[in-house]
Amino acid sequence: MERELRRRDFFKVLAAGGASAAAAAGCSDVPEKLIPLLVPPDNIDYVPGNPIDYATTCAECPAGCGMIMRTREGRAIKAEGNPDHPINRGNLCIRGQSSLQTLYNPARIPSAMLREGEEWREAEWDAAEHAAAERLRAVSDPSRIVLMTNRADGTRGQLLDQWLSALGASPKVVLDPLGQHAIKQANRRMFGRPEIPQYRIDRATFLLNFGSDFLETWLSPVRQNRQFAQMHAANDEERTRGRFVHVGPHLSLSGANADDWLPVRPGSETVVALAIARQTVHRNGRRVPPGDRARVEAFLRPFTLARAAEEAGVAEERLQALADEFARAEQSLALGGGTSLAHEAASDAHAAVSLLNFVAGNVGETVQFGAMQQIDSSSPFAEVLDAVRRMRSGEVDVLIVDGANPLYHLPPATGVEEALGRVGTIVSLSSAWDETTHRAHILLPGLTAYERWGDAFPQRGVFALRQPVMAPVFPVKAPEDTLISLGKALGLAGFEDGTAFRDYLMEAWREIQLETGSREPFEEFWRQSLQNGGVFRQVAFSSIVRLRPDALNRPLAQPSLEGNGLLLLPTPSLRHRSGEGSVNPWLQEIPDPLSQVVWDSWADINPETAKAHGISHGDQMVVRSPEGEVTVSAYYHYGVHRDVIAVPLGQGHSGAGRTADGRGVNIVSLLPAKTDADSGDFAFLSTRVTIERGEGRSFVVQLDGSPRQMGRGIIKTITPEQFAKGEKPADGHHAGGGEHPRRIDFYPERGDTPGYYEPYRWGMTIDVDRCTGCSACVAACYAENNVPVVGKERVALGREMSWLRIERFLEGEGDSYKTLMQPMLCQHCENAGCEPVCPVYATYHTPEGLNAQVYNRCVGTRYCANNCVYKVRRFNWFEYEYDSPLHLQLNPDVTVRSKGIMEKCTFCVQRIHRARYSANGQGRDIREGEVTPACVQTCPTSAIAFGNLADPNSAVARRALRGEHDEDKRVRQYEVLAETANKPGITYLRKVMDLIDGHPGEEA
Amino acid sequence: MSTITYAEVNDDVLSTMVRPRPAYFLLLLGFVVALMVGAVSFAIQVDVGLGLSGISHPIGWGVYVTNFVFWIGIGHAGTLISAVFFLTRAPWRAPIYRAAEGMTVFAVMTAGLFPIIHLGRPWYAYWLIPYPNERMLWVNFKSPLLWDVFAVSTYLTISITFFIVGLVPDIAAARDSSKGLRKMIYSMLAMGWNNSFQQWLHYARAYLLLAALATPLVFSVHSIVSWDFAMSMIPGWHTTIFAPYFVAGAIFSGLAMVLTIVIPMRIVFGMEKYITDHVLQSMAKVILFTSIIVGYAYVSEFFIAYYSGVPFERGQFYFRAFGDEALLPFTDVPTFGFAQYAFWIMVFCNVISPLPLWRWKIRNNLLALFFISILINIGMWFERFNIIVNSLQREFNPANWGNYVPTVVEVGITLGSFGFFFTLFMLFLRSMPGMAIAEMKEGLEPPRKNPAGEL
Repeated sequence: MERELRRRDFFKVLAAGGASAAAAAGCSDVPEKLIPLLVPPDNIDYVPGNPIDYATTCAECPAGCGMIMRTREGRAIKAEGNPDHPINRGNLCIRGQSSLQTLYNPARIPSAMLREGEEWREAEWDAAEHAAAERLRAVSDPSRIVLMTNRADGTRGQLLDQWLSALGASPKVVLDPLGQHAIKQANRRMFGRPEIPQYRIDRATFLLNFGSDFLETWLSPVRQNRQFAQMHAANDEERTRGRFVHVGPHLSLSGANADDWLPVRPGSETVVALAIARQTVHRNGRRVPPGDRARVEAFLRPFTLARAAEEAGVAEERLQALADEFARAEQSLALGGGTSLAHEAASDAHAAVSLLNFVAGNVGETVQFGAMQQIDSSSPFAEVLDAVRRMRSGEVDVLIVDGANPLYHLPPATGVEEALGRVGTIVSLSSAWDETTHRAHILLPGLTAYERWGDAFPQRGVFALRQPVMAPVFPVKAPEDTLISLGKALGLAGFEDGTAFRDYLMEAWREIQLETGSREPFEEFWRQSLQNGGVFRQVAFSSIVRLRPDALNRPLAQPSLEGNGLLLLPTPSLRHRSGEGSVNPWLQEIPDPLSQVVWDSWADINPETAKAHGISHGDQMVVRSPEGEVTVSAYYHYGVHRDVIAVPLGQGHSGAGRTADGRGVNIVSLLPAKTDADSGDFAFLSTRVTIERGEGRSFVVQLDGSPRQMGRGIIKTITPEQFAKGEKPADGHHAGGGEHPRRIDFYPERGDTPGYYEPYRWGMTIDVDRCTGCSACVAACYAENNVPVVGKERVALGREMSWLRIERFLEGEGDSYKTLMQPMLCQHCENAGCEPVCPVYATYHTPEGLNAQVYNRCVGTRYCANNCVYKVRRFNWFEYEYDSPLHLQLNPDVTVRSKGIMEKCTFCVQRIHRARYSANGQGRDIREGEVTPACVQTCPTSAIAFGNLADPNSAVARRALRGEHDEDKRVRQYEVLAETANKPGITYLRKVMDLIDGHPGEEA
Repeated sequence: MSTITYAEVNDDVLSTMVRPRPAYFLLLLGFVVALMVGAVSFAIQVDVGLGLSGISHPIGWGVYVTNFVFWIGIGHAGTLISAVFFLTRAPWRAPIYRAAEGMTVFAVMTAGLFPIIHLGRPWYAYWLIPYPNERMLWVNFKSPLLWDVFAVSTYLTISITFFIVGLVPDIAAARDSSKGLRKMIYSMLAMGWNNSFQQWLHYARAYLLLAALATPLVFSVHSIVSWDFAMSMIPGWHTTIFAPYFVAGAIFSGLAMVLTIVIPMRIVFGMEKYITDHVLQSMAKVILFTSIIVGYAYVSEFFIAYYSGVPFERGQFYFRAFGDEALLPFTDVPTFGFAQYAFWIMVFCNVISPLPLWRWKIRNNLLALFFISILINIGMWFERFNIIVNSLQREFNPANWGNYVPTVVEVGITLGSFGFFFTLFMLFLRSMPGMAIAEMKEGLEPPRKNPAGEL
């Protein structure tokens, strides 16, 4: 692909982009029709320079969030959440924001290819398809054909099933290592409902989390972030706040947001949950249905707090306090999930959590069955292993791989390497190079989910559609269409006429229309569904759930994790999930919010354990399991049990392109091929490892300048007691001070200067108590503002270009430490340090309160960056390049900066301008809510708010409380480094947090 | 000096101009090579980007600005010696002031390169000059960087003027003793100097006025340079002590550099008659005095940081001397790195190493003086490094702390700056009278009329 978009290509892309709006284009045939701009086509509202939005569904994980893809001149440039979608309500997570880079992945396969020996040869599509059909036809027994995919949601799953059964092949194998069958199995056993219930975190007042990473990858993270904020974040009107306690051997981002942490021994969660259940029944037994009471009590009798405390290795008093708190809670909820429960008795652990919810009366309240969540289309891992076993024993002739990457995701202990070698022909429909596609024989690369048709049904009443948001980046075909046309070539029943998948989908949606009860003509229903991103109905969930009579007949097993060495806990990565996200430059460059590590793997290890092994932070560490060894950087983390090392999943690729290759280690390679006995889920927590110091220091790059804020009050807190009373924390004189510095200024207020702040003074509020550190805002900022990715070596020197970052500080030591996180971006100060020092007025204060940066005028003295106390200015050290086709993502509304100039957050000034144009056109001022910067737009917890501070009725003004007479009301409000008198335009709201030793935000 | 005659002065001084030895050319070649290294480094940096330097986020200014301040500081001694000591009638200035003035001009020229070298877009450096333009763009007179533009260019102008005016009678002497092309060039530069009473009258008046004009500049330029830092908000920069502190430092480093230059001159050209022990002694005393002022400033900075109670200031100065405290959980021991070595080098070179100068014997020992002057040059470079770079490494927000290590390109450009300075200086020694002939004659016993009827 050439770097430049040629005029002819431009029109092609344009025509196709428009055509998909009119629902006319299939995926494979790029329309050749040219559209002259002088006479705009009348069927679409195309105006050059105006964006066209397409509603579709995010495909970065199975949660099925609604997405609005913004396109300009036929190119997708920005992904945002679909505000009408009931799952995510307009927000996306960090991976959803980065979906554009899945679309424009430089490692995508641009055309059909055939293998000749070790070489790949580009082939005509039809020839390659013909070759694949020949191989399929040559198979003697169709059951010797296996199709392995990574996602089979919605109608696509139906098509795969139909295709495979028409062929007579074995059932599809859907490989997602983060499958959730243990929850289904546990609920089948307890309640006879084999489903993932809908957790209503928002309704709980007390959340007890057994290991799940519900703010990162588990189930539906965007929704869970939103609900968690509703439940947990400070409510300033009522002065209430929920409580959240994390139980488990490791603190990931979710655990780091907890008010308290019980570092239990891995595998003991089952007993701990049962002991809390026992105490709950003991304290508050009326929530158990009377009929079940006796057997529940009998079942729980052996699980005393003392026994659980001993098995978990925690103090009995702490467990008792926790159990009492849980029992007393107005509305509690226990979550169980994550890899720390994914051991060989995972279903039993989940069953214990389900039972705990049952005895606390949460089932039907905060745990709702009947939602029929289809957020996991994976096959149980045992089935995947079975397919691998068949391949190994030579029972498979043709393997069709569609998106799945078994060579990466499966431990070598499964023999997957050998298994692939024994398969006669591997046909890959995957869109990009990865470990497995390199082993294929025929490549019929697929389009990404954003260029093809599809749908997803994440829960009852939510029918989400996927449509191509732009013409294909490469002239390849949707895998569904490839299968259909292979089916036609093979003469499979039902595929004789080779109907495009889009028509197949429409057929399926005729039935959905019946289900939704819509009475419009189908064409109208279809058009509206495409426009809205699907059909969303409010459905009441049937939640009459009873404990099965045989639920408690069998004891709940605990995994046997005994042995020498440390337990290895692979953890799902916020950024890379289980490995899909590591091809994506933004996700590599944006640091993990907790460790602040970029472009790498690391091993969380408790400092005490590490010191006992003579290992320092940042040392190379050799980790050995019976299955192999890896060398990874040791990372001192208080939030990990002394008996455990935790390594994130998702790195260590080879052959997945320049972004992912050679970054860190693939920790799966150390795991044995074990599964949960009942559900067949992959047992992540199943092996012990020995560690020793490796050679020298690792080149691991951490973005935090210091893990401690040294009492400087960068992130401030308020104790729950003070918050409940509405009492302002007494700050030290020099650590911020409650005194707003505007009172001691010699100069008139900027707002009193004629010409300023009429009618706008753009400002922001950031509620640190709502911020979970999910980093979605950071990715949104990268996408919206053409922020370049610079790579590990340059980040190591501090040359990352992020305009917005999550700052992370630790408070306290040992198990009781706390993590503080806060988004930091240009504060658009009234009295900015950067402005007076620029010798050429390249940065100045606009009458609307923006701290503007004029790229053209900047000569690059960097004085402004030096004098910025928040250190949010970024300098272009080099001319940055974008691997083709990533450059197609660049937002045409935002300048691509050249080397030698300064840049920084603009409050998305391009969006302000766009709102102004439309307001001016109507002869009015910009209204509240018309401007939403990218970070604000995507924040799942609504921690960030933006608006006009000059309007006293605006939401930000009411939240910022910056008025003359508001001083006493500013309980949580503060400005970062207010004592420097920069008068920032961003007001932060304190995090509500227990004191550790002294106030975290204060001078020690 | 009473035994020296006017003719001898003429011959001795002018002899430096006519008889270069091969060693001279070898040395010159070395400096030119260094200059080329710098030029090539800069060219590559312009092409690729400032990322080739070690400057990063949050350390926006590194070795380049350090060099700028260092050279500006060097450029102070010349004017101090020629103007201030002229006004205060310190007669020992006469033999060294020409070299010191030359040094000043070249040092300021070298310094002037660095604000351009350190720009992100050096090709737009002229945007810092307020010139009328069709885009109605103006410069920001609030910015200390703009003050720098004026301060440095004014200082350079005055220094050059002063330098040239002082040279006129001596160039006339050179004119009289040279032939051919040289004579032609010197004739032009001598501007028709004919040693008349009238001319001397005007000359003395002009020189006095220029000296009076230049004197405040000695103090203002480095004050303004110090305001680049003092006017900002960075802990370690934002302090009122900076102007006198920088001026004292500048005089300190400038005199050290004069010693570094003059001692080899005295040895190589055999100028013991002129650059006497008394001259060097006097210099050493001023150096000792300024060293004490600088040392006082160091102590006072620490005291103020402690006394203010501001955690940012305290943190900054703790870091400079002792490094980071233990940052649990990652490190449980304090760290001590390049920045702290820079600090202790500075303290040793600037405060400790001049202390032997209290002793008469040391002041009279050429080798010791030369050695101490080199140490002071190093120490004063590290002082600027310590102020500029170390402050930026640990400022307000700990989430953004960073570390700085210079890169090859920065070392190359720094080397180039020394090449530039010494190339110019070597050419100056070869082509201009390296000592003030006329003024040295003033210090001599006037010749008596002799039978030959000579002057």
